[in-house]
Amino acid sequence: MRRPTASQARAPATVLALLLIVVLVLPPLLSAYWIDVLTAVAIYSVVALGLNLLMGRVGLVSLGQIAVLALGGWVAAKLAFATSIPFPLVLLIAGLITLVLGTLVGLPALRLSGLYLALITLMLAGAITVVLSTTNFPNGGPGFLGHTESSFGNPSVRRPDIAGSDPGYFRFTVIVAAAMFALALWHVRSRPGRAWAAIRQSEPAALAAGVNITLYKLWAWALASFMTGVAGGLLAGSVGKLYTYQFPTRDSIILLAVVLMGGIYSLWGAVVAGGLMKLLPALLDDWGLPADLLTILFGVGVLQVLLTAPGGLAAQVPKDLARLGGALSAVVRREAARAERAPTGPAPREPAQ
Amino acid sequence: MPSWQDFQPFIVAGLALGGVYALSGVGMVVLYRTTGVLNLAFGAVGAMGALIAWTLINTYGWPEGLAYLVCIAFGAAISLGYGLLAGPPLAGRDPLVKAAATLGLALILLGTMSWIWSDKARSMVLPTTTWRHEVGEVLINWTQILALALGVLITLTTAVFLRRTGLGTAMRALANDREITASLGVPVRRVEATTWVVSGALSGVAGLLLSNLVGLDAATLTFLVISSLAAALIARLRSLVVTLAAGIVIGLVNAVVTPIFSISPYRDMTPFVLAAVALLFLARHQQISFARRIT
Repeated sequence: MRRPTASQARAPATVLALLLIVVLVLPPLLSAYWIDVLTAVAIYSVVALGLNLLMGRVGLVSLGQIAVLALGGWVAAKLAFATSIPFPLVLLIAGLITLVLGTLVGLPALRLSGLYLALITLMLAGAITVVLSTTNFPNGGPGFLGHTESSFGNPSVRRPDIAGSDPGYFRFTVIVAAAMFALALWHVRSRPGRAWAAIRQSEPAALAAGVNITLYKLWAWALASFMTGVAGGLLAGSVGKLYTYQFPTRDSIILLAVVLMGGIYSLWGAVVAGGLMKLLPALLDDWGLPADLLTILFGVGVLQVLLTAPGGLAAQVPKDLARLGGALSAVVRREAARAERAPTGPAPREPAQ
Repeated sequence: MPSWQDFQPFIVAGLALGGVYALSGVGMVVLYRTTGVLNLAFGAVGAMGALIAWTLINTYGWPEGLAYLVCIAFGAAISLGYGLLAGPPLAGRDPLVKAAATLGLALILLGTMSWIWSDKARSMVLPTTTWRHEVGEVLINWTQILALALGVLITLTTAVFLRRTGLGTAMRALANDREITASLGVPVRRVEATTWVVSGALSGVAGLLLSNLVGLDAATLTFLVISSLAAALIARLRSLVVTLAAGIVIGLVNAVVTPIFSISPYRDMTPFVLAAVALLFLARHQQISFARRIT
């Protein structure tokens, strides 16, 4: 057992405090619009977390996560209308069904590696999008597809009884998202995380060390599918009515961009990614700037991350802050030294460095 | 079941679309083989070129031929610019990283396009569309013929070029090993730059043809690249002739099922399903654990 360092021991307390602030203090302060935005941020943080784990921990790239999200949303909406099981259970089952579907796809697809895996997920996402644009999402209609065209008076996907209001649902979403992050952290810190690290470094070496590569790759794939499926369920409850246009192919690419920009080697990167994807557009809109600027910014961000800063913002900002702090403290120290020397007459010459 | 007459116009449309898929597929395969970059911004480059041409013609009243040339030149220039800027720093990285970087370019172009031109649907009518022929009972216009002919012609020309010329040999050498090729004295950067120009010009041509055949709209054209990518993938990003055949088959299947109402809504799945099946079939002997790259 590794003994946690001081900063590691402090981290859970910081996270808990942050979580309490977000859940208890934020909702009364914000308008309904910003609560909606922050709910979306929490949901897309979970989606980003799935891709973050796949890319950062195992080195697998999926370009189809938004289609998986749509799949999770479909299943959750179907369950919510067809059954009367409690909403948290709906989320869990939606996650598990998405897990099974994701694993079924992953089993053959993981034979491909690198670029080809990314491309086949792009292809499958395209196929799922075409199917969903024909079947549409369940909205209380009859039959297996559960979709009815009459758009008047359709019920929304129900929410949990304790979290019917927007602030209530926001709290619910944040807690579920936190649970997903805890799940991810637990995986990363325990046996699967070590296996993934070995696989990412070198598959032959991992194999030689006795790591079951097939199992752990599939495990990561299944875990990401599960999280994304749960996020789909959260999204269904959040917006109430799902439509195909909420899941454009463009978003899969933007998700990849924000996950890279957020940083794939830290779970904080996923939180940053969720903010970049959902909070930033709302802010730009609020400031009256065109949202297209953001797409351009994400494009530049991807290039910047890939060319110069593989750790993304989650690694870059603390590093830059530390550098800034170092520079500031150097200035302060120099000033202090000068002030100390000042009363004793002319300053001695600086020793040549 | 619809009769033979119902299918005929869709066969023509499918062949034309397939020709463009093949054309873009060849542009992507040649670039990938030479530089290792799978250019996922191929569609976005062509779309922006076409939008520029549209504006030049409809707002500034430029002669059409000149505007089309500008479109193709834009494709070549922006591709070359990207190749010079991002190519060398990424040269030693994994193909996946290189492909992801082109997604950055795609996003930049996509954002710029929807900022400047908004998402309004436009239509571009090439002059060849007004020349029509009646073959049997089907009306064929020259743009459709041009699309298929260009697809076939460019595939064959490129294949011969790669076999017969010095530059083509250098490109094929690069496709095998960049380091060894460089140490043999081949000007690697110059060969790569040439490939970027050629591939970019092809994206401009594809953008022009698609904006006529499908419609001029930034997002649609950008993501049509996925269909041509399917053709390239079926050819394992390798064979030009297979890319041509796959492109035409994809275009044809996609269009021909249109009159069959039961599966018509799902016809846009064609490229994805064909590519997924082909990829999985080609990878059937690979182990998950020791996945070797099919390059």
